[in-house]
Amino acid sequence: MDIKYKVNRLVTTNDIRPMVDKHWADLRTAKERGEKVAWASGPTFIIPYAMGMKSHFMAGYAAYCGGIGAADEVLKVAEATGELSESCSYHRLHMGMAEAIKQGIEINPAAILPMPDLMVSGRLCPEMSHYAEGLYRRMNVPVVTVELPIAYAKEDVPRVKAFVYRQFKEVIIPAFEKVCGKPFDYDHLSEILTVLKKAATIRNQCWEFFKDKPSRWTLWDYGVSIAPVFYLMGKPESITYYEKLLKELQERRAKNIPAIAPDGEKYRLYWDGWIPWAFLGKFMRKLIPNGAVCICGRYPWEFFMHPERLDPEHPLESFVDAFWGEDSPRCFSNKAPKGSLELISDLIEEYSLDGMIMFSSKSCRLWNLSQPDMMDVLYKRHGVPGVVIEADMVDASMISDSQIDTRLEALFETIDGIRRR
Amino acid sequence: MERVLSKIAEVTSDPYAYVAGLKERKNKKIIGCFPMHVPEEIVHAADLIPVVIWRGNEPVTWGHAHVPPYDCGITRSFVDDAVRGKLSFMDGFVFHIRQCLQAGEFPFIMERHFKPAYQKILYLPAIYPGDPTRDFALKELESFKTSLEDFTGKMISDDSLKKSIEIYNKNRSLMERVYEIRRAKPEILKAKEVMQIVWSSMLMPKEDHNELLTELIKGMEEKSVKAQKERIKVIPVGCLCQTLQFDILDLIEDLGMIVPDDDLYIGSRYFANPVNLNGNPLKALADRYLTKTPLCPTKGVWDIHWGDEAIKRMRDNDAKGIISVRVKYCPPHTCYYPDFRSKMAEEGVPEVMIEMEHEIISLEGVKTRLQSFAETIGGV
Repeated sequence: MDIKYKVNRLVTTNDIRPMVDKHWADLRTAKERGEKVAWASGPTFIIPYAMGMKSHFMAGYAAYCGGIGAADEVLKVAEATGELSESCSYHRLHMGMAEAIKQGIEINPAAILPMPDLMVSGRLCPEMSHYAEGLYRRMNVPVVTVELPIAYAKEDVPRVKAFVYRQFKEVIIPAFEKVCGKPFDYDHLSEILTVLKKAATIRNQCWEFFKDKPSRWTLWDYGVSIAPVFYLMGKPESITYYEKLLKELQERRAKNIPAIAPDGEKYRLYWDGWIPWAFLGKFMRKLIPNGAVCICGRYPWEFFMHPERLDPEHPLESFVDAFWGEDSPRCFSNKAPKGSLELISDLIEEYSLDGMIMFSSKSCRLWNLSQPDMMDVLYKRHGVPGVVIEADMVDASMISDSQIDTRLEALFETIDGIRRR
Repeated sequence: MERVLSKIAEVTSDPYAYVAGLKERKNKKIIGCFPMHVPEEIVHAADLIPVVIWRGNEPVTWGHAHVPPYDCGITRSFVDDAVRGKLSFMDGFVFHIRQCLQAGEFPFIMERHFKPAYQKILYLPAIYPGDPTRDFALKELESFKTSLEDFTGKMISDDSLKKSIEIYNKNRSLMERVYEIRRAKPEILKAKEVMQIVWSSMLMPKEDHNELLTELIKGMEEKSVKAQKERIKVIPVGCLCQTLQFDILDLIEDLGMIVPDDDLYIGSRYFANPVNLNGNPLKALADRYLTKTPLCPTKGVWDIHWGDEAIKRMRDNDAKGIISVRVKYCPPHTCYYPDFRSKMAEEGVPEVMIEMEHEIISLEGVKTRLQSFAETIGGV
């Protein structure tokens, strides 16, 4: 008889939405309180945070728009005002929002942000420059620009890291000092890092519960929990959140409650690429009835994977090191294909995975080019099969249900076939 | 002139055969440079032959298994060549991976299927203001030079680098002269012939190309052509990284338009800006890279507008319109294009955008767009 799988929802994740809503509401109303506002891409938002400013974060805004169901209407404004659909959907969201403001087009008010006093174009990927350039040309916002390369090979890490550090120190910080009219607040930066370090340390303890068989939570539960260890960094409630989450997971383990009822997952899967922010429910409805649970991925694992390396005594150095240093979890191991291969290999073994879903974004080319070859290498190494799913993080026009269903079915059949050998 | 054009057509009709033969004839190693910003002079100074990686002319087959359909044509085409074993004559590759996201992933696939003896990853930064950018760009070029020295076992002296720069600068000035004559006598060459001339410069040793250009220029200067005043001058813009299909250039001319100048990568962009040879040659190469014009959307230039540049070129040539050629799935051009088009609209400049992929799916659709554009700007 077919097993009827059902999600055992975590209670703690209900706390996320109010935290995230408050962050964006505070940003929207900052100017009314006479506060300065920044926009940022890449992990550069920590600099305005340290200066006491409210800051937007490019990918966070896109995830938020996806989460509140505003992506469709903002993307439609972008398309109507000239954006081409094959460009990055995060880029288009920002252009759509800017055009809505400029032309007075009505969209969900929660998706409208105040124009920044300073925008940091942290060029982690070139699109992060393209969107900022577009906003500069259309809205004439003041901008500070920095190049944030992703090291392709391990031997390139030291020179890339030194370059990034120098730009934080010599370009971004002086620009914010000028806007704020005060020296950079290294003490506050240390305080943010202290809180972040603690939150990320507890988060790592939570990751251990993915190793349980059955898993105690799903990657989607963690996906919605990323903000406290990223753009909500430094807030005491981020520690409270992860303490509560850890407690709930401990209770689940004690009572042997799995992530999905009745007895846990049939397939433990790796998820490659972005989290599909606007379609979390859709993917859950496709995965869970098949007994499939996504456990981990290189993108969700990039946020301070090694919190022990954050050193509040040397805040800027250790922050840059956390992203660009040796074995950096973000810019070598998680972003560049060669480093990622080793990380994913480790994840497959550590988390006892059965298969891989390579989420190939049609509008973001950060990972999609290397995914078919990576999948092949990993299958040969570990005997773990994978499929590519072509979709997008927030653009519904790039989602095809039948394509996703067919490929997931193929993945499950392949795993079954391997198990029968 | 005909002899030169025939030779150039031969080089570009089958770049694989030409470059493989070149390696045999010159007894030198071949280094493929990913377009668009690798400073070839450093490779040349290492006594190697730099060639700019190109889009193949054949339909992609095995490459589809490695590159998603929403990535650009040159990537898919070159991966296709690699997995089909067509690149065995290449001794090395240089990839500038900060140009676009696809360039960042591309080397991984390449080295998995065909890893030559030499490979260099360059991180040329967006040309943002400030000392860190300038210093890092220079360090990247120093690291590039050192990697080539390690590969060949020979030091690259400043003198040899200066000599290479001089040869490249000469090529740039000769190419500029070809364009100057073409601007005065646009009927003298077909648009596809001009593209072949630039493309051949990317494939041939510059010394040999300079000889051809010298002969070509003499012929062009001597040749008189009948001005075809009824033809409407248009400026093609864009087509980053790869050759525009010759069929499209022919179509433009068949529809009564004529191309006196261009803003294409395999066009005026390739040879723009000589290297200023005062002092440290590596610094001079870095300075050339850090030059904002011609504006390239891969380089993060903020304070000038590509649209203004294109309009100036159009007006300088007394042209009537601009044809934007956008390679499908080229994010830098795609993200910039809406602002480019807005600028055209603001300035009242007629402009049409055509999209091209590796293989032409329908020339008829392109023809319809171009025909209606020609009619709009007063053509046939």
